[in-house]
Amino acid sequence: MTIASSRPGQRDLAETPQEVREVQFAITTLGLGVAAVALAVGGPVLIVLGAGLAASDLFGVFASPVALMWLVVGLGGAGLAFSRDRRVVAIAVAATAVMVPVIVAGFQGLVPYSRAVNAFMSTGSLIAMLGGVALGVAAILAGFGRYGRMPTKRAREQAIAGAVLGIEAVVVGLTFLAFRTLGDPDRFVFHFFNVGILEGTGGVFLRGAINTVILAVVGELGGIVLGLLLALLALSKRAVVRAPARVYINFFRGTPLIWQLSVFYFGFSLGLGIRLELTIGPVQLSAAYVTAMVVFILNTGAYGAEVFRAGIQSIERGQMEAAQSLGMTYGQAMRFAIVPQAVRRVIPPLLNEFVILIKDTSLVVVLGLFPENYDLFTTAREGYSATFNASFFTAAALGYLVVTLPLIGAVNAVEKRLRSGLVTVTT
Amino acid sequence: MSAPLVRLEGVHKWFGDLHVLKGIDLGVEPKEVVVVIGPSGSGKSTLLRTINLLEEPTAGRVFFEDTELTDVRTNLNRVRAHLGIVFQAFNLFPHKTALQNITMALDKVLGLDDEEARRRATQELDHVGVAHKADAYPGQLSGGQQQRVAIARALAMRPKVMLFDEVTSALDPELIQEVLDVMKRLADEGMTMVVVTHEMGFARTVGTRLLFLDEGRILADGQPRDIFHNPDNERIQQFFSRIL
Repeated sequence: MTIASSRPGQRDLAETPQEVREVQFAITTLGLGVAAVALAVGGPVLIVLGAGLAASDLFGVFASPVALMWLVVGLGGAGLAFSRDRRVVAIAVAATAVMVPVIVAGFQGLVPYSRAVNAFMSTGSLIAMLGGVALGVAAILAGFGRYGRMPTKRAREQAIAGAVLGIEAVVVGLTFLAFRTLGDPDRFVFHFFNVGILEGTGGVFLRGAINTVILAVVGELGGIVLGLLLALLALSKRAVVRAPARVYINFFRGTPLIWQLSVFYFGFSLGLGIRLELTIGPVQLSAAYVTAMVVFILNTGAYGAEVFRAGIQSIERGQMEAAQSLGMTYGQAMRFAIVPQAVRRVIPPLLNEFVILIKDTSLVVVLGLFPENYDLFTTAREGYSATFNASFFTAAALGYLVVTLPLIGAVNAVEKRLRSGLVTVTT
Repeated sequence: MSAPLVRLEGVHKWFGDLHVLKGIDLGVEPKEVVVVIGPSGSGKSTLLRTINLLEEPTAGRVFFEDTELTDVRTNLNRVRAHLGIVFQAFNLFPHKTALQNITMALDKVLGLDDEEARRRATQELDHVGVAHKADAYPGQLSGGQQQRVAIARALAMRPKVMLFDEVTSALDPELIQEVLDVMKRLADEGMTMVVVTHEMGFARTVGTRLLFLDEGRILADGQPRDIFHNPDNERIQQFFSRIL
């Protein structure tokens, strides 16, 4: 039975002419709110990017071999998705394929940085901000003034949404206006969005992103194996088996990752001479880089152990009883009945741990890596040291988001699938 | 009379301060269908679960044939393969199909090869009337179908005794009969069974022996007919007057 969401007097459709007017008023309010946000937020951003595009060699960017290959692959992928009747995916892929070169061109056009400042300070941008604030105030007054009189739930929600969008537009618009008049946009853009100073750093940032992903993937995969092992020990009915696992888990969860990195590298590697250099074929990995991987595995193992322990304990006791009643040993029951179910349940928390680890790999900045091992953050920090310009940090943030946002999306998708009952257990 | 398959001697069970079983002595002969009834909280399920040592007795001894299960030197896993049990909550493995639920133990415990395990699993599914659902996951089956798969899973081990722990209590009323029918057929085929149930019709018609349990003690032990028609104990009379 669903919880009744409707009150007895609630209707879906307006009936009298007066009610029809109220419903139209609500739609108008929502439109006002949307327009206000579009002006206050979208206006200045589009004007700045537009200035970049106008000054850029858009045709040249699209005509470059890399962009053409990108477009062919992207649009081909979109066509493939469309042919398999996945239209939303197809549209998203196609839009990404076209928009990335456009954005790249827009950024290229924002050199020198003063072009962005001028666009932001232009009259057009001022009008957009003022207009956004004015429309926002109108939406707030209209929505909050009349929402109580709306005859249908839908109209009521539209009126409220319009008013809230109005608030958001006013807040952003006023912030922009205050920044224009009281702040120092020139200095801000120079230090945070200086595309010119980043020119030619694409290669090192890409290398940084690859190193970040390598460190995180190695740490996570190793940590999952170690974590499952520790969880099984921590779940033993014998205290003498549990104790060492608990000590390990609590130690690695209880000390800072930066402390662990420092002790393992400066203490063990440099101090005691236990140098974990690794040669895989033609690739030579420095002691600092390998030590970082080992520490990430050890650390993630401790957190992973707690995730697995919770997952295994969440499996109904009847499952173990059923397996053992069939003559399986405790080990067989764990391996074939309990752990496979637990693994499905811990996928979302493990992915979350992975997202956290991706960001935590930035702590390798304390180790003094060789340039070829720089992660995203170290790359940015080195760039900043050389130029005293924080735009490198902005670029690093974009790099982290490119990696983490799809993962966060994957976590939510997996959770939704698990919740939708793909692997539900009848009770 | 042949030797009992299952024997309990002076079994006591404490859960903390709660004295659930207060000295149970019981022998189950081959081909007997022992039905255990009694008010809730009387220790019926605990008694049943003590037979395959899912509950370890606090005191007393449990035997299967000549093996003492309460002896720590006994390999419980080996003995349990001969003691099938079916639970109220089915406890099928939700990540395995009906067929795989059955073949898992055939493979891992009995060491049958794939083909033999599949053959035996299909045969048992057919036996309980759900062969057409072999490739369905438990979540795609009705309660009655799940419980019949669970029975097939236990039977595939070729147990010498089958234990049933309130197997119809979690089922919708219209699904109960299909499970009871399977159990009745098993009894007719000569399976030794111990059945904890609230189904009095089943107790009367299928049971060859009835135990009435109350507050951890066996109050009556005899022919179902006699106990139903002439309950000589006041507690038993009271129980019947409430449920019949």
